[in-house]
Amino acid sequence: MPKQDLSLRGKIAVVGYGETPVTRARKDKGEPRLTYWEYLSWAAELAMNNAGMSKKDLDNQGLAVTHPEVEHPLFVGVEAAEMLGLTTRWMITPSHGGASAVVSLAQAAVAISSGIVDRVLCVAADAPLTYGDTVMLTEHRRDFEKPFGVMGPPSLFALVMERHMSQYGTKFEHTGKIAVVQRDHAVMNPNAIFKSKITMDDYLNSRMIANPIRLLDTVMRVNGGSAFIVTKAEEARKWTERPVYLLGFGECDNSYYPSNVLPDATLMGIKDASQQALKMSNLKISDMDYFQPYDDFTIAVLMQLEDAGFCKKGEGGKFVEKTDISFNGDLPVNTGGGQISAGQPGLAGGNINLTEGIRQLRNEGEGRQIDNCKIGMVTGIGALQYGRNVGLNSVAILGNEV
Amino acid sequence: MSKFGVSAENPSNAKKPLPYVASFSSPFWEGTKMGELRIQSCKSCGHKQFPPKSSCESCMKRDFDWVKSTGSGRIYSFASIKEVVMNSPAFQKDLPYFLAAIDLEEQVRIIAQIVECDPNQIREGMQVKAFFEDIGGISIVKFRPALPIA
Repeated sequence: MPKQDLSLRGKIAVVGYGETPVTRARKDKGEPRLTYWEYLSWAAELAMNNAGMSKKDLDNQGLAVTHPEVEHPLFVGVEAAEMLGLTTRWMITPSHGGASAVVSLAQAAVAISSGIVDRVLCVAADAPLTYGDTVMLTEHRRDFEKPFGVMGPPSLFALVMERHMSQYGTKFEHTGKIAVVQRDHAVMNPNAIFKSKITMDDYLNSRMIANPIRLLDTVMRVNGGSAFIVTKAEEARKWTERPVYLLGFGECDNSYYPSNVLPDATLMGIKDASQQALKMSNLKISDMDYFQPYDDFTIAVLMQLEDAGFCKKGEGGKFVEKTDISFNGDLPVNTGGGQISAGQPGLAGGNINLTEGIRQLRNEGEGRQIDNCKIGMVTGIGALQYGRNVGLNSVAILGNEV
Repeated sequence: MSKFGVSAENPSNAKKPLPYVASFSSPFWEGTKMGELRIQSCKSCGHKQFPPKSSCESCMKRDFDWVKSTGSGRIYSFASIKEVVMNSPAFQKDLPYFLAAIDLEEQVRIIAQIVECDPNQIREGMQVKAFFEDIGGISIVKFRPALPIA
C-alpha cells in the first residue's frame, strides 16, 4: 500500500473537458462517418476550449492517449501528438481498455505531482462504426476462446452472471432495474445515443444474446471521443471556477480471488482498487454522492456495487432492489446513462463514466444534476480474463473541494 | 479488416476459426489430436494451469510437464449462446448451444461447449466428460454429460 507522502490526494485537478456527440454513423440517415483521428482532434479541441486554454498552454506538457480498438496504431501517442501538433514532455498511452480514462487521470497526476509537467491533455476516441470490427486478441485468448465457440465479452460475462445469479440469488429484475434507471438518465443526457425510456417489461422481453445476457444488458457501440485536461492543483483556479480534484486512486489488475486455483469468478479487482482509493482519499464509501461504474454489462454494475463496498458481497441484487439509484435518489448510479444507454465509443477507455463524474461535480448535469454533489467514485474496468472476470480494475475518487 | 475480426462473408461459406498453434501451447494441440486433454503443470512448484501460458502463474518459472487430464469435471457456470457476435458466422448453424466454464478434476477451469445435454437438465455442478472434435486438422475439446440423465 502507498505511503501517505506518496498520496495523490488533492495534488491535481481536472480544469476542462469535452465530449463529442456520439453516433452510429448511419449513412442512410446522413450521419457522418469520421475517422478515429477526427474524433481525437475534435475531443481535444473541445477540452482545450472548455478550459480556456490555447495550444501553447498544452505544448511541451504531457499527453495521454488511450489506445483505440481501431487502426491499432503502434505509436498511438506520438501519432496523436503529430495530428495535434503538440511537442510532449511526458507521454501516457494506456492500454487499459475501459479503465484507460481513470488510469490516464492517475498517471497524469503522478507526472504532475512529481513536477515533470504542469498539465496533461488526456484524450480518448474510437470509431468502430467507421472501420468495422477489428478487435485483436492475443494468442492465448484467440486460440482458446474463438475456436471453442466463445462469442466475445457477452459470452464471457454470461458465464459470470449465471454464476452470480446461482451463488447469490441475483434476479433479472435486479439487473433490469439498472438498465431501466440508466436509460432514464440517458434520456436526460443530450449526448446519449438512446433518447427514449424503457420499462422493466421491455428489459425482460429483450432478446437473449448469451442467456442470461440480454440485448438490454449490453452496450451500444458508437463513434465518439472525449478529453479532459489535468493541471496541478495550485493553478486550477486560473483556468476554471469549477475544478474537480483527484482525491483518491487505486488499481488492481489481474487479481485472483481467493487464489489462482479455481478462483471465484464473481469477485473483481475493484475490491482492492476501491479500498486503496478510499485509503488515499481518507474517505468512507458512505461519503460518496454518486457512483459512476464502468458499465459494459448491467451485472458488472451490480458486482461493482458489492466490491466497492456499497453493500456486502452477494447482496448487490437486494441492494439495487431497495435503493433508489436514480440521480435524485439514495445513491445515484451512472447518472449520464452509462455506456449501456449513452453509448460506448469503441475502446474509448471509460471516458463516458468519468466525464459524467466530472460534469456532476461541476454542477453541469442539467436536468439530471445531483443536489449538493461534492464527492464521487468513478471506476474503469476492462479485458475479460479466462474463466474469471475483468482483468483491469481502477477506481478514482473525485471531489470539488480538497 | 483484420484477419481476426468478424468477417462479413456469407455464413454458408464461412469457416470456423482455427487456433494458431503457439510453441508454448503445441503439446496441448498434439494431445487433442490423440484424444488427450493435456494440462500444463509446473516442474518447479507443481501448479497446474489452463490455458497454457509462457510462465507459471504461481512461481514465474518456465519449465512445464504436461499431465493427461481424466477429462472429467463439473460445470462451474454456463450460458446458452443465442447469437453470433465477434466470432465466425459459421457458428450460426450450431445456435443455440451451451458454453460452460468447467472445473476439471485437476483443479483447472476450461471454457468449452456442452453438447448432447437436455436444456432442462443443465446445471452447475453437473458432471461432464471431455471428447474431441476435428475442426480441420486440429481438434478442440467439447464436453457432454458424464452420467445418463434420469
